[in-house]
Amino acid sequence: MVRLKSRYLLCEVNVSDRSQLLLLDDRAIMVAVKAAVARTHGDYGAAMCSIRFCVKYLNAHTGIVFLRFPKRCYKLLWSALPFITSIETRGQKIPCFLNCLHVGGTIRTCQKFLIRYNTQQLHRMLPKCKSEEEKQQVRTAILSCSLTESKEAFEEDSESEEEEEEEE
Amino acid sequence: MKQVEEKEEPSVYQRVVLKNASPYHYLKVRLVLEDESTRLNAVELKYFIITGLKSLYGEVGAALNFDVLKYDEDTLTALLRVYSRSLVKLWSSLTLLGSYQNKACAFRVLQVSPFLLALTGNSRDLQLD
Repeated sequence: MVRLKSRYLLCEVNVSDRSQLLLLDDRAIMVAVKAAVARTHGDYGAAMCSIRFCVKYLNAHTGIVFLRFPKRCYKLLWSALPFITSIETRGQKIPCFLNCLHVGGTIRTCQKFLIRYNTQQLHRMLPKCKSEEEKQQVRTAILSCSLTESKEAFEEDSESEEEEEEEE
Repeated sequence: MKQVEEKEEPSVYQRVVLKNASPYHYLKVRLVLEDESTRLNAVELKYFIITGLKSLYGEVGAALNFDVLKYDEDTLTALLRVYSRSLVKLWSSLTLLGSYQNKACAFRVLQVSPFLLALTGNSRDLQLD
């Protein structure tokens, strides 16, 4: 009945150089988001960001990140995300931008959306697939994707997507 | 509140409440500085208020449109005009603005009204003899 509600933003980190994606970690993204919010919305925004904000999930292979914000101020903090131009990790500045794909009330709904989104992406890329072996791998990855084995299924699915994209 | 009085019938009171009557709000503020001798001109005052907005509300806050309509350098009293939606942000950043060039300062908000004409009469300065 009385429940703390949050909004989970499913974002995709776009970088020009794919190898730099692997350097990302959740601490770096958290720092980048907090800095952007402090710059754009000042002390008021920084204070709103400090309650129940965290990076819930980060997949370095595909650049998918889940950000959690409190429900009452998620729109304001969402508006600061386009102002992120680079993320700094391990002494390197990676120029990138965050693209928000979905807003969900729980992690489960975001996962369901991500699975649907990944399958759609794969359906777009399968026709461009070169070898039969690739196609087989991709099909098994999709079929094995289920909610119970959430994270492993993601990584499997995303990794095969990653290989496929590199093939192109 | 408007009073409508009829000569023959007993007094009839009519109350008129105006919501969102004016697009602007007008504030009369005075800057009180620890060091009495510093002087600011209108441009410096506006810049000072913008830095206050920037520290509290960021770039978005610093972009709020407000105007300094009148400024008296000797008493450091200014008449500000701001859109009604931004009144709360401007007033709260004036409240929290504490130091000018590393010296303590304070903004005293004397009058606030959606109508400029209402700022001419101030019941605080009324002399009742």
